[in-house]
Amino acid sequence: MARATTTSDVFNAIAEPQRRRILTLLRTGERPATEIATAVGLGASPTSKHLRVLREVGLVRVREEGRQRHYALDARGLNEVHEWTGGFERFWSESFDRLDEYVGELQRMESGDADG
Amino acid sequence: MQTDESIEREEDREIVTTRVIDGPRHLVFRAWTEARHLARWFGPRGFTTTTHAFEFRPGGVWEFEMHGPDGTAYPNRIEWREIVPPERITFRQGGHENDPDAFESTVTFADRAGRTEITLRALLNSKAQRDYLAEHYRAVEGGRETLEQLEEYVHELGSVGS
Repeated sequence: MARATTTSDVFNAIAEPQRRRILTLLRTGERPATEIATAVGLGASPTSKHLRVLREVGLVRVREEGRQRHYALDARGLNEVHEWTGGFERFWSESFDRLDEYVGELQRMESGDADG
Repeated sequence: MQTDESIEREEDREIVTTRVIDGPRHLVFRAWTEARHLARWFGPRGFTTTTHAFEFRPGGVWEFEMHGPDGTAYPNRIEWREIVPPERITFRQGGHENDPDAFESTVTFADRAGRTEITLRALLNSKAQRDYLAEHYRAVEGGRETLEQLEEYVHELGSVGS
């Protein structure tokens, strides 16, 4: 059994520039592993390692045909990535901006209403 | 276990954010205590919140969805762990129950002469997770173009039915 995909794994997967190049390359369609290696200018072994990472997080899928492995994009990993787009610190920074405004509103309500 | 690198220190796994809110502590605290309050401010600008369940007590859960500006829905689940009004709240946040990526945050409220200093300390499960969350705004920015292209492509795939 493959281990469970986690959000941080997906980030790890796309944080690596060569893996992003592979993803961009696969946008044009399925490619054999050998062709991917040539296109990104890496050896067979590092390419295969990157492809394994991408496959484990659900960003690419593999199809075996004879001795060749063909890789294509897979949508499953994308939702995971979206979950944190915008970043943790930005999330809270913007939340706190809004909180500040809302507390101002609560304060006006409290001083207007006697019951607070 | 050959080196002490196998043990990750807490300070390597945390993200701390501080902000002074222009309002008294009891109101800043109150803004956390009910779904109708949280819906007004929780999340980045442009996001809205739909609450499915809310119980503000230790062990209670806030189950909700956040809707991004593009309409994407993100399931969220916060379990309140410790509530000390109006000083401190500890909660565990994840996408769903038993989410392996869920992590604990503690928010403290300090009175600063009528204003309130909020400190949010998130303790992530690993340094790796911490680094992605702390820096990934930039990392994802770098990846965003790729992701947008990917999405486009995935839509194309969907429409040709392959």
